[in-house]
Amino acid sequence: MNTYVIVLIKTNNFERFFLKCRGLGIAVFHTEITEEGMIIKILESDYKKLHKIWFIQYKKVDVEGVLKVGELVKKNFVFFVALIVGCVLLFLISHVIVDVDVIHSNKEIRDLVTNALKEHGIVKNTWRKSYQEIQEIKESILEEYPLKLEWLEIESKGMKYVVRIEERKINEEETVKDACHIVATKDGIVKQVIYSKGEALYKENDYVRAGDILITGSILKDGEEKSVVCATGSVYAEVWYQVSVHVPLTYTEQTETGKVRWNFKVKNNTVNDFIFKSRVNSYVEELHPLVKLFGTEFQFVRQKEVIEEEKNYTEEEALNKALEEVDSKVSSTLDENEKILYKKVLKKEQNNSTMDVEVFVAVLESIGEQQEFERELSGNDGDTTIN
Amino acid sequence: MHLYKTIKNFLFDQEYFIDLWQNNIHIYGFLDILSLQEEKAGFHFERFDVELVGKDFRVLKLTKNEILIQGELREMRFS
Repeated sequence: MNTYVIVLIKTNNFERFFLKCRGLGIAVFHTEITEEGMIIKILESDYKKLHKIWFIQYKKVDVEGVLKVGELVKKNFVFFVALIVGCVLLFLISHVIVDVDVIHSNKEIRDLVTNALKEHGIVKNTWRKSYQEIQEIKESILEEYPLKLEWLEIESKGMKYVVRIEERKINEEETVKDACHIVATKDGIVKQVIYSKGEALYKENDYVRAGDILITGSILKDGEEKSVVCATGSVYAEVWYQVSVHVPLTYTEQTETGKVRWNFKVKNNTVNDFIFKSRVNSYVEELHPLVKLFGTEFQFVRQKEVIEEEKNYTEEEALNKALEEVDSKVSSTLDENEKILYKKVLKKEQNNSTMDVEVFVAVLESIGEQQEFERELSGNDGDTTIN
Repeated sequence: MHLYKTIKNFLFDQEYFIDLWQNNIHIYGFLDILSLQEEKAGFHFERFDVELVGKDFRVLKLTKNEILIQGELREMRFS
């Protein structure tokens, strides 16, 4: 593609100029007479030859062709960069999904669909799927869970997918137990009995063994079974455990020096590294997420320099630490109505680097469990039947 | 380039030609320009010379063997 130059020529003798042009092999593609002189259009490669014509004054006025495009870009560099960045952003905005919103009141269904979508590649920070792909994914998920999902719709709203689900409801026959006891699952001392059906056989401070019937579903009168119910209630009892823990006798104490250095981190499934080399040896990190794209997260990191010091626990400190650990270990198995009543250290042994502690723990815990039983024949009660 | 030369030879199958239309004179195939003035222009061809006489001659385009002149043509002499 040729590049042309528009040149203003000032001379008294145009005839001589054209003859000279011809002599030098300069092709003139257009001429125009103006007040200032003559405007000519020549090839960019011929422009340099003009200096050989000594009797003219010339000035480049404009360019055409590739050079013009280059000049235009150079003049409006910021605009073109903004335009390209804008186009890239527009492309990303219209092709990237940043969130997947699954709408349903049942968490189990939400989780089920979220996992199914994940398996089919519908997760946040991924490329938008085509209409055909979405339809195929919808059909595939509905085929996978025919008993749980009635209908599924994946709607694309802006930069996110909104997934609406209709749960398939199958009327299940409720199995109502009609004859059951509450039976002890552990040995213990009864502390509280709460029941709404049946008859309690133990009261506070009674000792029970695992397998004992705590609340019976068989209602007796004068030694005879009058009716049978499914005993319902809870029995809280003091039960005992023996817990062993090992506590290290040394620990590392970190003291901040006040020196802070910044860095950047790239994090995804396979990489979790700093972009720049760390300028402090020991530090604690303060992470600030910047941007997350296609599963890769860029983080701004403040590295606070620390001095690490090895320290030893005293015997008392180590013991307290052990008891704290016992507390958290036991508490993790209890529900909100259950609690630790008391604990006692049975044995403590100090080795080179650890302390082994054995602790006796008394816990207030629900020990009742519903257990069905077979009804017995009753002669004078119309409510009871033979099973 | 060969293709270009073939097409050019096909289209410009004459050694020279002189076209005239509405105040424009297109001359192709001259060997030299003898004169180029507002009222007179002369061109040398292989076997003859051409002299154009007129008014307000102005060069619109010029290459090595081709020229487009705008102006009022009154006479054309061959010698």
